[in-house]
Amino acid sequence: MATGQVAAVTVDTTFEDPTRRAPLVTGAHDYMSVTDTVVGLVEHQTPRAWYIAFTISSSFTFLLFAMIAYLIYRGVGVWGNNSPVFWAWDIVNFVFWVGIGHAGTLISAILFLFRQNWRTSINRFAEAMTIFAVCCAGIFPAVHVGRVWFAYWLLPLPSTRLDMWPNFRSPLLWDVFAVSTYATVSLLFWYMGMIPDLATFRDRTKSRTKQMIYGFLALGWTGSARQWHRYEKAYVLLAALATPLVLSVHTVVSFDFATAQLPGWHATIFPPYFVAGAVFSGFAMVITLMVPAREWFGLKDFVTLRHLENMCKVILATGSMVGFAYGIEFFIAWYGGNPYEGFTFLNRAFGPYAWAYWTMVTCNVIAPQFFWSKKIRTSPWLMVVVCIFVNIGMWFERFVIIVTSLSRDFLPSSWGYYSPTWVDICMFAGSFGLFFTLFLLFCRYLPMVAISEVKAVMPVPGNDHANGVHQH
Amino acid sequence: MSSKTWYRSLAELENSTEFLELMHREFPKAASEFPKGVSRRRWLQLMGASLILGGAAGCRFEQDTLAPAATRPANRIPGKPKFYNTSFEIAGVAQALRATSYDGRPIKLDGNPDYAAVGGASTSYAQGTTLELYDPDRGRTPTQLQDRSAIARTWVDVDTFLAESAKGWSGSQGAELSVLAEPTSSPTIARLRTELQKRFPKATWFEHTAVDQSNSLRGAELAFGEVLRPQFDLSAAKVVVTIDCDLFGNHPDALQLIRQYSAGRAPAEGKMIRLYSVECEFTQAGMMADHRLGLRPSEIAGFLASVEAALSEDSIHEPAKSATYPQKVFAALVDDLRKHPGQSVIAVGPAQPAAVHALAHRINSQLQNIGKTVTFVRETNTTVNGSLADFVSHAQAGTCQELLILGGNPAYNAPADIDFAASIKSIPNRMHLSLAPNETSDLCNWFLSQSHPLECWSDCRLSDGTYGLGQPLIAPLFESRSTIEVLSSLLGLKVDGLNQVRRTAIEIDSGLKADKEWKRVVHSGFLADSAASTVSPKIKAFDGPQANDTWKAVAEVKNGDLELVFSNNSSVFDGRFANNAWLQELPHPLTKLTWGNAAVMSPKTAAALGVKDEDLVQLQVGKGKVEIPAYILPGQATGTVSVAIGYGRKKAGLVGGDTANDIAPVGVNVSPLRTSQTLHSVKGLKVTQTGRTQKLSATQDHYAIDKIGLEGIHERIGDLVREANLDEFLHHPDFAQHKVHHPPLESPWKEHSYDGHAWGMAIDLNKCIGCNACMIACQSENNVPVVGAEQVQQNREMHWLRVDRYFSGDPEQPTVITQPVTCHHCENAPCEQVCPVAATVHSDEGLNDMAYNRCIGTRYCGNNCPYKVRRFNFLDYRGELPGTNQDLTHLVLNPEVTVRSRGVMEKCTYCVQRIQNTRITASNKGRAIGANEIQSACQQVCPAQAIVFGDLNNPESAVAKAHADSRAYAMLEELNVKPRTKYLARIRNPHPWLASDQDEHDHGHSTPAHAMKTQDHRCGQEAHV
Repeated sequence: MATGQVAAVTVDTTFEDPTRRAPLVTGAHDYMSVTDTVVGLVEHQTPRAWYIAFTISSSFTFLLFAMIAYLIYRGVGVWGNNSPVFWAWDIVNFVFWVGIGHAGTLISAILFLFRQNWRTSINRFAEAMTIFAVCCAGIFPAVHVGRVWFAYWLLPLPSTRLDMWPNFRSPLLWDVFAVSTYATVSLLFWYMGMIPDLATFRDRTKSRTKQMIYGFLALGWTGSARQWHRYEKAYVLLAALATPLVLSVHTVVSFDFATAQLPGWHATIFPPYFVAGAVFSGFAMVITLMVPAREWFGLKDFVTLRHLENMCKVILATGSMVGFAYGIEFFIAWYGGNPYEGFTFLNRAFGPYAWAYWTMVTCNVIAPQFFWSKKIRTSPWLMVVVCIFVNIGMWFERFVIIVTSLSRDFLPSSWGYYSPTWVDICMFAGSFGLFFTLFLLFCRYLPMVAISEVKAVMPVPGNDHANGVHQH
Repeated sequence: MSSKTWYRSLAELENSTEFLELMHREFPKAASEFPKGVSRRRWLQLMGASLILGGAAGCRFEQDTLAPAATRPANRIPGKPKFYNTSFEIAGVAQALRATSYDGRPIKLDGNPDYAAVGGASTSYAQGTTLELYDPDRGRTPTQLQDRSAIARTWVDVDTFLAESAKGWSGSQGAELSVLAEPTSSPTIARLRTELQKRFPKATWFEHTAVDQSNSLRGAELAFGEVLRPQFDLSAAKVVVTIDCDLFGNHPDALQLIRQYSAGRAPAEGKMIRLYSVECEFTQAGMMADHRLGLRPSEIAGFLASVEAALSEDSIHEPAKSATYPQKVFAALVDDLRKHPGQSVIAVGPAQPAAVHALAHRINSQLQNIGKTVTFVRETNTTVNGSLADFVSHAQAGTCQELLILGGNPAYNAPADIDFAASIKSIPNRMHLSLAPNETSDLCNWFLSQSHPLECWSDCRLSDGTYGLGQPLIAPLFESRSTIEVLSSLLGLKVDGLNQVRRTAIEIDSGLKADKEWKRVVHSGFLADSAASTVSPKIKAFDGPQANDTWKAVAEVKNGDLELVFSNNSSVFDGRFANNAWLQELPHPLTKLTWGNAAVMSPKTAAALGVKDEDLVQLQVGKGKVEIPAYILPGQATGTVSVAIGYGRKKAGLVGGDTANDIAPVGVNVSPLRTSQTLHSVKGLKVTQTGRTQKLSATQDHYAIDKIGLEGIHERIGDLVREANLDEFLHHPDFAQHKVHHPPLESPWKEHSYDGHAWGMAIDLNKCIGCNACMIACQSENNVPVVGAEQVQQNREMHWLRVDRYFSGDPEQPTVITQPVTCHHCENAPCEQVCPVAATVHSDEGLNDMAYNRCIGTRYCGNNCPYKVRRFNFLDYRGELPGTNQDLTHLVLNPEVTVRSRGVMEKCTYCVQRIQNTRITASNKGRAIGANEIQSACQQVCPAQAIVFGDLNNPESAVAKAHADSRAYAMLEELNVKPRTKYLARIRNPHPWLASDQDEHDHGHSTPAHAMKTQDHRCGQEAHV
């Protein structure tokens, strides 16, 4: 392992000079120091702040599970759902979390296939976020059914007792397949990518227990050339497998709505619009988490401003797509001449839920436009502010689509108004608790940055091209 | 004479405390184990129909026998329902009924189809009566209050007590005895009353009712000099005018009149009655009216007198364009009456004073209607000593030692100026016979548990005077007796209801001495050809109300000078159904309110008073004050407020309120505002804001609507609920099919063909009067649960069938249209496509079936249903309460319909159990199912015969014919869901002078803004045809 010192240079990595490549790792790092930094996060004594954060987030997790228990004990009626708003925060939260879970696989798989090397320092982080978001997402549809104890009937189990298959025409069933496939592949992808780093952990840890655990997880990785060879192949294959899933999962989620005949749901624009929205919200969530993490965990050299700026650009692009989709929805509602659809959109913008609609527009269409300014794109904490708005906006987007469309459908006699109950609110808050709990555990016990991959995009030792990147 | 006293043990004879305690525990099941402090919510659940049905656990036969039936009793097949005809009074109105008995327990009450005038229809109250039978709050034993403790007694004790008391009266000829009863048409009770008066000539008998109908009788007395009751024949009428009269709602003949009216509104057959309604609060007659005029009660006499004056003039001209709406309606009304002598009806409601009734009789006579459309029958019931007020003065006189109250609840519903409670305190023995202990029972020292009419022999006079006979379908569930039995005991006769009733029947028709004849009457439920003879009396001179102009101007709203109207058309009637969860949850036809009453006022009145929906307001009349939430209803006469009586019961039970046990009353008791002089309406009302609000539980329009919503409603209602004027219909009979144009509806694949049966339904909007009877019939038939006020507020009511109502036109003088909506059984059902577990699937006969035990409750089907008829069990509405007598509350369930558990979606099945029953019967007999053999529960109950059901593939069936009718249309057909339910468009029949006026309303697209200003958030306006 090289030990040559690289000159410590503070570099502005956000320049736009096409003749030069921006360095992906800054600071005076060599291979050793990369390993030290990342593994050090785990090896050092757990900081007090972590305990505080973990206490808070795990209490919210407890709240989530307490609410789930109460929900199962009493029934779906503890939520505010009613007729006609049969789905409300349960499905809003589901779509919200699935959307968040989009950035991870997009960064790991699609950017990997496109040889976007800047992904390396953020992909582990984003993938972990994906997995945790999908966990949060999966909880809601599972517990939102009226008889949770029969939720397994959604699976095509060849059982003689049931003696029937599920209804393959139902988009909800497609959802089951789409989300579970996505969760499985994302998990595999994440785990496989971690194997070399887990082996590093195993090798460095002094605790016997940790050696056992990391050793078990590292699956006997020795770092031999053959292993690396197979690893790289498998990684490409999994990336290729995951890529269509990035697009398919939210497409299928959007089918829940698009194939229904409810005005406001029944629209062919939904698949691309949902995918763009998912990437949008996913990247916003990555930034929201990444900025504080790089600050607190001292990862600024790996997650450089350029990384953040690139993500801001993605947010700007997808945010504009989403804004465009909002416009198109209105246009089609008018152009299509369907009076019910026309009403639904007017009602969204000016009806009783207008506050939600305009919150959504402000957060999703206006907020990302600030990223046209390079100043904002390169100021981490300003980014976080914008991204929090985007996250709020994307939650409201799902709320607007689901609740406002349902609350006023065809027959005015059935119209209703939905308000959440304390259980709805606690469950939503609790899902954040679960997300952050898992995240804190991840930060504490797993390699937050892909050590081996980062090393691959670092200057070759001894080479003085501080600003260059060499591939092997 | 006295009957023998039988005893079961010496201890009983001694009436020792230990023995009484034992008796109390042993006999009325769980009488003392009754839980205290149970939450209201749980009890609502309990009262609801959906309780787990443990197979045939609740089955019982007529006799409880210890030995199992080793051989099956003749003609009894377990699990096969039997039907019995019976007749009894429900809410003061005698009805010919047919009860469905399942293994010995009555589970449903419908109209007796053999009674031709009504033909199988029944009221909401009749439907709710089944639940009343199994009410856990019913009195279980006679109870004596001694030294502030209630002691359970037996009927033997009561008999002994009465016999002892009677001994003391023989000297005084019974001067110590007073009876306070509800008015009844029962000939047996009348006979026993006569016998009582013979035996104790000085005993007194008073009658009390909260719903006073006496103005009508006194009006006839004024007009004809004798006490007569008018009867209307709408089948011979072309113009019907209701003056503050709900012919189709709380009128005793409503079922019959609705039937005649709907038969007279068949435009294709050239029959089209024109209905005018001049009234204060919106009634069901007003809902059907071609022209409805909302007037304050005090203006109505002047209006009718003006009609009389105008009729005597030579001619009436078309009013000027600038004329007020009342003037226009007036002119059209007079014109129509003039053109249809002998073919019109003017009906006045009980809220109007006798003079207005007399005036109507005079106009009817002048128009030669008497003897044709209006006939009279003599009222015979005149032998009582007076009303509640007379009783109170009698009681205060101090001679009364013994008071027997037969039913009723005067302590709750006595007018504010009659201090009933104080007046009876000095009476030593106060006995109250009642189905369940109520406010009045609390004032008495004896509570006598009354038998339900389904448990005892009784008789009555149906509205046309036909002798009706009530037979028991089940042995009394508790230690109870009927009124007839209690009177027998009082007279010292043998306590035998059957014998007493039969004696009366023999007096009426001596042919009934023969057992065979008697059995025939018992079987048919009434004595054929026993209707009262009608008379056509001659009018005599009297001073009627004077014509005036006050009604012509548009009313001004002056706080402090408002008029308050007391309405009795809510589902709890006078409060007697307050503990009936089905009826409490049955929405009012107009306001759609459940579980409570409100101060109903028009948008203009509300705007003038600065009142919004659900504002808690204080109503003040004189010294009486009441706080009640406001509800804004278009069409309530400007300057008036209407409140329903019968709410705010403090001792009704676990559903209706029991303040002693911390169960809050339902709604507000408005009795403090009501005096014996102002039973129907009162002037000088002041409304003040309290600054607080109170939630109302309405099943439609759960919240005030915004401008966008209002415009959306305006745009679409014309497409959903199609209607046209008669002229238009005659020119374009198929107008309804051209309201909505859409591209050809094609399918990408070959659709399933339905070659066998194809079940379908048709609902004639031209007939539907929006009475809601179908809703509760469906509830009773299909074990539909009750959810309670809080759940209704959250839009979680479970009714499989609902009746939507929309307004159009000027919010102060609107027209209204109703539309029953239930599952449309779409051939391309959107719900089926999206269910991930295939819990809702199509049958090969086109039924959209629900497999409850497959349903996991994703609710996706509910989202995708364009009609929103699917109902989800958000919570456990079956409500099992450990430790209570569930065997009792289970008995009301229809065992042929699955009880749904929490987390399951449910909806209308087109009464699939009835289809199956008919199929089995037909198949056993080796024949095909008849064209109109199957009736759904909603169809069966419908007095207007608006609903038809059957096989669309059978061209002979009524439903196939209805689907082929030119007025038939499918709602939201453009979605290509292929609904199996079609609606027949409504036809209005406006007077030509007003037709254009009505059109103007309907075209006015500038109105939404105006309507907003006047807070009209309930006005759906038809799109232009």
